[in-house]
Amino acid sequence: MKFNSWFVSSFLISFIVLIPVITVFASFFETTSNYYEILKNTFLVEYIFNSLTLLLSVLLLTFIIGTGAAYLVSFYRFPGSEFFKWALILSFAVPPYIYAYSLTAFFENYGTAFTILKNLFGEANYNKNIPKFDGMFGAILSISFSLYAYVYILTRASFLYQSQNLIDLGKNLGFSRFKSFFKVILPAARPAIVAGLSLVAMETLAEFGAVDFFSINTLTTGIYNSWIYFDDLAFANRISFFLLLFIFSLFILENLSRRRAKYHFNSKGGLKQKVKIKLFGINAFLAFIFCFFIFFVSFLFPLSQMLYWTIKFPENLFDLEITNLVLNTLYLVLLSSLVLIIFSLISNYGNRVSNNKTLNFLSTLSISGYAIPGVILAIAFITFIAWFDDSIIKSFGFSSIKKIFIGSVFGLVLVYFIRFYSLAFNGIKSGYEKMNISVDESAYLLGYSKRKTFTNIHIPFLRNSLLFIIILISLEIIRELPITLILRPFNFETFATTAYISASEDLLEAAAVPSLFLILIASLFIIVTSKYILRENNE
Amino acid sequence: MSDNFFEIKNVDFKIGNKVKVKNVSFSIEKEGDIICLLGPSGIGKTTILRTIAGLENINKGSIALKGKTLSSENINIEPEKRNISLAFQENSLFPHYTVKKNILLGAERNEIKKDKSINFEELINLLDISHILNKFPHEISAGEAQRASLARSLITKPDLLLLDEPLSNVDQSFKEEIQEKLKKILKNSKITTIIVTHDSYEAFYLGSKCGIILNQELKQFDDPYNVYHLPNSVEVVNFLNRGILIPAEVTSPKSLENKDLGTITGNFVKPFPIGSSVKLLIQPEDLHHDDTSNLKFEVIDRKFRGTNFIYTLKTPNNTLIPVFVHSHHIHQHEVDEKFGIKRPIHIDHIVCF
Repeated sequence: MKFNSWFVSSFLISFIVLIPVITVFASFFETTSNYYEILKNTFLVEYIFNSLTLLLSVLLLTFIIGTGAAYLVSFYRFPGSEFFKWALILSFAVPPYIYAYSLTAFFENYGTAFTILKNLFGEANYNKNIPKFDGMFGAILSISFSLYAYVYILTRASFLYQSQNLIDLGKNLGFSRFKSFFKVILPAARPAIVAGLSLVAMETLAEFGAVDFFSINTLTTGIYNSWIYFDDLAFANRISFFLLLFIFSLFILENLSRRRAKYHFNSKGGLKQKVKIKLFGINAFLAFIFCFFIFFVSFLFPLSQMLYWTIKFPENLFDLEITNLVLNTLYLVLLSSLVLIIFSLISNYGNRVSNNKTLNFLSTLSISGYAIPGVILAIAFITFIAWFDDSIIKSFGFSSIKKIFIGSVFGLVLVYFIRFYSLAFNGIKSGYEKMNISVDESAYLLGYSKRKTFTNIHIPFLRNSLLFIIILISLEIIRELPITLILRPFNFETFATTAYISASEDLLEAAAVPSLFLILIASLFIIVTSKYILRENNE
Repeated sequence: MSDNFFEIKNVDFKIGNKVKVKNVSFSIEKEGDIICLLGPSGIGKTTILRTIAGLENINKGSIALKGKTLSSENINIEPEKRNISLAFQENSLFPHYTVKKNILLGAERNEIKKDKSINFEELINLLDISHILNKFPHEISAGEAQRASLARSLITKPDLLLLDEPLSNVDQSFKEEIQEKLKKILKNSKITTIIVTHDSYEAFYLGSKCGIILNQELKQFDDPYNVYHLPNSVEVVNFLNRGILIPAEVTSPKSLENKDLGTITGNFVKPFPIGSSVKLLIQPEDLHHDDTSNLKFEVIDRKFRGTNFIYTLKTPNNTLIPVFVHSHHIHQHEVDEKFGIKRPIHIDHIVCF
């Protein structure tokens, strides 16, 4: 194999991404480790039990909501169906932790629900009749209503590509609508549903903000607490090891199903455009109610709650240094996008021109970062830097490099890079996949050099993909909490960290303003990208 | 150094480490000549074009254009520096540019040479693509994309033009017209061209020479008439599928004897010793129909080809023989009827193996 610049850059990227994984696994082999003792004498069993309960409940709920909504908007026309088609992905703008704040703010004693009842029916003790959505149940609801869109988007895409012939076949066999759904439509969309649920599962296991807010001890919060409260990085890494085992099983499952999903999505030949069935009467009403309920609960409810508090406590609006937060967010977004795009372009272009199996393998390794929870990434990164600093740098007599990497924008962007590399890499890859390699060869034969082909043919072609990737990265960074919280420089806040800090100090009304801004900005990005996310043709 | 315009000498064509066609040698004598390479799918025809274009390397033999070595074990001039154009079989138009812009990108290269023998307007009219100029590649049909791609390649006025199945996606009804126009453009602009196709009629029409690639080898490289009438191997006969091989015995320097057809006279392309058993090539036009003949066989199939019929006859020894009859022949024969063959049988070129 040629040892060229493509190989070096791909190797470097893979190495950076693999640092946290290696660090976590290295902790497993430390001589002092006694996993049985740790398991017996600590909360690990509780962590695992809670994580599993959370995981299974969220999977069930997101499956019902995501698949149900996708089925209705893909196969039927009813009042608002075109609106719900994209409005249902707005839930992505509300991270689980902000949903958790809204849920608490609304249902807590003397909260918004109480105020509404008091205004409607006068003074009374409504608190005992208002249900409380906290603890595990609150966490399940918060995560589910925020993440169901993964299942919704992928399942809807799969439904869209399902052939009308398949549905006609069901009818031809005398299946009822109900039977067709369970015997034909759902099994055909299974790979997409599994892929969506795997993403939900990975995000749920990685979830930090909401479970921390509801004080649920899961593996993720355990990792954070071991580090923050017990100052025990080694133990944090050991818990990470268990969580990573979970995650990697899911990662493999997701990859396998995605590969199969691709098979389903590509069935283009001889398909008839699916005709949506128009619903009337009670059926149309029920379909509308189902979608509206999800849209209301997942998006309008948290948005209104945050808006209500922002208006009710306007002083918080003025206390917040909004310009600073916007600038900080913009700074992180631009820097991270730039770095991610540049490296992803290099790596993808390298793969394209060299068509080398080793490079392909390294690229596959590099995209595993998205499966690793932010908390693990941040803590493993700190562990690695601390080890590297103590064992390597100082042994050569150099001064400490910790400050360069920990508590710096550089370190933050580096870990964002690991976390979101797959987003940029896969985005560019799918853009490239739409361009046959013979296009490059045609360019060479028209006298274009490799560089000119890249700048004059590839970049203009990938322009839309790049824009889409930048917006997706921005969306992720704006919502991102644990990495930013752990690695941000002193006095450097984002909307997410400001909301989290206020909420963790029990100042929910103060958390409302940054949360509202976060939802609004994220919604804007989602609306801009919805055309791509929900595209209905093969372009 | 030879005087040939283009020359391939002893080249193994490969993709990666897999050799597709071995030890190929052929040449194009004059600028403006058109040659066609024929062979079944997957045999390595495209690999040959890709290698000539510089998209694949060689480690044996040499490829030279206008006396300059382009590829050899030690030399590999980059594709962009060869001035060779390749029109791919699949849609290779730049997806984010309109058809017009795609073609004009080709013209940019030609601007340097100021060659006016190919005019943009004339080209788009000849290839009938004026109506799609402002469309994007995903908005046009496969046949239109192929013609647009052809226009882009032609307008660069390359030293050597390589066309990979250039008309495979063009509608049958339109194909002959495009073939004629293509030949006219290539001849007028004197563009030396190598065309890869699996359609023997297309190859025989367009090419002044045809190469037949079979079983990893260039089996025959000759003018179309010879390839058709004087195939040099059983493999070529089987590939062209325009005749059958029947057993016969050489009875004199100018005759053979077959159990069903009797004596056949003619000129042997390659001499065989008297008394030797051979396989004689019978092509549909070698035998002539005669209702009055007493040499009659049973019709087992009849194919109508517009200008003619091809009858398949079954002999008493179960040999199936094709016979060509003009479609305006006074009457037609039905399956199971008897069909007479004119005697004595005389074949101008006797091809035996």
